[in-house]
Amino acid sequence: MSTLVLDRVSKRFGGVIAADNVSMQVPSGRITGLIGPNGAGKTTIVNLITGMMELTAGAIKLDDRDLSTTSPHEVSRAGLARTFQNIRLFKEAPVIDNVMGGFHRHEKCSLVSSLFALPSARAETRQIREKAGALLEKFGMTRYASYPAGSLAYGHQRRVEMMRALASGPSVLLLDEPVAGMNDVEAGELGGIFRELANGGMAVLLIEHNMRFVTKLCEHVYVLDGGRLIAEGPPKQVTSDPAVIAAYLGA
Amino acid sequence: MMSDLFIAYRPLIDLFLLHSGFALGQYIVLRAGVFSVANAGLTAIGAYLSAWLTLRAGVHPALSVIAGTAAGTLVALLLSWPLARLRGVYQAIATLAFVQVVLSLNVYSERFTGGAMGMNGIPKVVSTGTLFISLLVTLYIIWAISRTRLGRAFDAIRQDEMVAASLGASVRYYQSVAFAISGAIAGYFGAMEAFNTYTIEPQRFGFDFLVAALTYVVFGGRRSIWGPVVGAAVLIALPELARPLAEYRTLVYGLIMIVVMAHLPRGVFDTFVEYLHRRRMARMDRAAIAKGDNA
Amino acid sequence: MILQQILNGLIVGGVYALFAIGFTLVFGIHQILNLAHGAVFMTGAFVALYSVQAGWPLWLGFLLAMLASGLLSVLIEVGAFRKLRKSGFAELEFGAIITSIGASLAIMTIAQKISNTQIMRFPFETMPVVIYEFFGLRVSALQLVMAACAAVLVVILTWYLYRTAFGRQVRAVAGNERAATLVGVNPNFVFFQTFFMSGALAGAAGVLVGLAFNSIHFVMGEPYLLRGFVVVILGGLGSIPGALLAGLVLGMIQTMTVAFLPSGLTDTIIFSLLFIILLIRPHGLLGKPEAGAMRGR
Repeated sequence: MSTLVLDRVSKRFGGVIAADNVSMQVPSGRITGLIGPNGAGKTTIVNLITGMMELTAGAIKLDDRDLSTTSPHEVSRAGLARTFQNIRLFKEAPVIDNVMGGFHRHEKCSLVSSLFALPSARAETRQIREKAGALLEKFGMTRYASYPAGSLAYGHQRRVEMMRALASGPSVLLLDEPVAGMNDVEAGELGGIFRELANGGMAVLLIEHNMRFVTKLCEHVYVLDGGRLIAEGPPKQVTSDPAVIAAYLGA
Repeated sequence: MMSDLFIAYRPLIDLFLLHSGFALGQYIVLRAGVFSVANAGLTAIGAYLSAWLTLRAGVHPALSVIAGTAAGTLVALLLSWPLARLRGVYQAIATLAFVQVVLSLNVYSERFTGGAMGMNGIPKVVSTGTLFISLLVTLYIIWAISRTRLGRAFDAIRQDEMVAASLGASVRYYQSVAFAISGAIAGYFGAMEAFNTYTIEPQRFGFDFLVAALTYVVFGGRRSIWGPVVGAAVLIALPELARPLAEYRTLVYGLIMIVVMAHLPRGVFDTFVEYLHRRRMARMDRAAIAKGDNA
Repeated sequence: MILQQILNGLIVGGVYALFAIGFTLVFGIHQILNLAHGAVFMTGAFVALYSVQAGWPLWLGFLLAMLASGLLSVLIEVGAFRKLRKSGFAELEFGAIITSIGASLAIMTIAQKISNTQIMRFPFETMPVVIYEFFGLRVSALQLVMAACAAVLVVILTWYLYRTAFGRQVRAVAGNERAATLVGVNPNFVFFQTFFMSGALAGAAGVLVGLAFNSIHFVMGEPYLLRGFVVVILGGLGSIPGALLAGLVLGMIQTMTVAFLPSGLTDTIIFSLLFIILLIRPHGLLGKPEAGAMRGR
């Protein structure tokens, strides 16, 4: 059971305020939404959480662990996985290799054993390949295993990215506009997967532009505009908030 | 008959084995997404240190080789630390500067290095057999890396640093490791060169060295471990097979670099491997369709 | 004495600047590191030499050298970079270095064959040796010509880039090649112009260096290419004013180290300087701060 907490997080670029005093809670077992019009600062929040940018003020915590100044790979090792707004796969590598990449944080073999391909290192590679294969099976992607990831259809690429994120066995999953460019059926299918993950105890943070999708899926929604939180609460309540409506119509 | 041929071509075979080593040293940093050309300088350090130890301090050649390898590794590690801040062409230029500094210091410190004339009379203790085994061992290590955790991390970082970091791979750590491995290979084969060719001089590890190593890798291929070796083999054999080419060797190299990079950016060997792979995939697809599996 | 060194340094630096401006121009606009720039420089010297040997006046040889170097540079763009531009940025960054080294090798081999690997000289009195004295400083006519050429060419280039419609086109292509195409800018034409100017400037620098040291050979471009790196990094990769400033600074550093430090250490000092600048200030004196370094924490 983990909770990702943003405590009065701010980010300034020179004079420009990209995030201003943002506080959020992303507890496990729940799908938490973060919405806002274009340019509201959603991407900044993603970059701050994942360690791609430095905070100007405030703190980010995963349970008791302070992630405010940790570098991206340490954030990942702490148990946070993510997908990218515009899919970022290793395009030329086979699908299976992409998914195997996701297991990186659990790899334990030593430098020396890897350098000489000692039995322990080879066993690890075998195990990871098997686990990745099982994941492909679960997502119905087994037959694409040896295709270059970049050659797949858009929806399938999204799935590969999702599998790669899940491979690391994260406690928090950050989804950056995961259904962008998908039709309602495809989005609904993915939504089902997110639901399942949250029910399994994962903390899911869904960053979305698509209000309809968020309202359907999330239990709790934060609304960002101009770098500030302008509303939070259950989706029904938030979407009827005059400030939120104004922000969306004004955008 | 065979042995006559072997003796006639022995210098060429030695050259190929040495240069394959240099090419693999260059290959491993590129594989981890580091655009370093420092290998010329690291090779020089391995060659000079081991030659100096044996010639001037009477150290046993085997120990000198170990020292040269260690020096290459260490200097590479030291370099990797500041270079981690740089990317792309900036890394290339910084490492080029390093190569130039090593070269100019080798020319300048005559007392230790023999200056522009270099060092002569180095005992030839490294035979073709030693070189052959050395190359095999290097290939095994690179194969091992490719098949295990290090290789996966290198490949991820080369293709997308941000994604690799988001998967928990420390870019700085793995690139330092790649640097160190490359430094070890460079230092080792530098020492091999010193103990195989009687003499070393500063200019041998300059811009031409760097260009040759890059060319082997680009020509052969930057992915599979055979690419650099195939590249070295073809580019060294080519001028020998066609004598007129020998006179215009550099012209041919130049044109090859342009044509291969522009039209076969994966390199000759890797393109071939990929072609085979694609054919196999197509066959599997056809088989699947024939079975009526249209999922 | 020290003033004399500074003056000499400034004049050498002017030539460095001339060489480096073309180098940095191509990088700043197209993100291409053209390692054949030294070979283009050498070609300029060759063309001027052969023109003078053919009995033509030096000024004509100079113009022909600029024209030929400019066209050669365009040829390099078409032959070595055009195909690569279609692939992604990472491929271009790596690939351009490889193909331009290739172009450089090819050009140098041809020059080697033409010149039979000889060091060549301008005929005696191509540039009369006249020394002037101002306030105790000695300046040769050749040095005055060098300084004047460098200054005039830099002024013309600056005017062309910043005061004409071309400047706008260049910025459009630099920002986004596809978007520029959509608003009617022909990117190939912009590439043609930048590479031509870059090459012509290198060719001019080649002639001036050839005259100054009266020694022309097929590898003469290599040390200038290597020093060119120092200039463009010190100035900030892509910055033209930076290259100008850094060229002058490097010229002075070089004459000073030669004059006051043990000979033979000049290269060590210059390239250590390059390495250090890259580590502490990769964007140089006048470049954009985000250049070169990795982002993130």
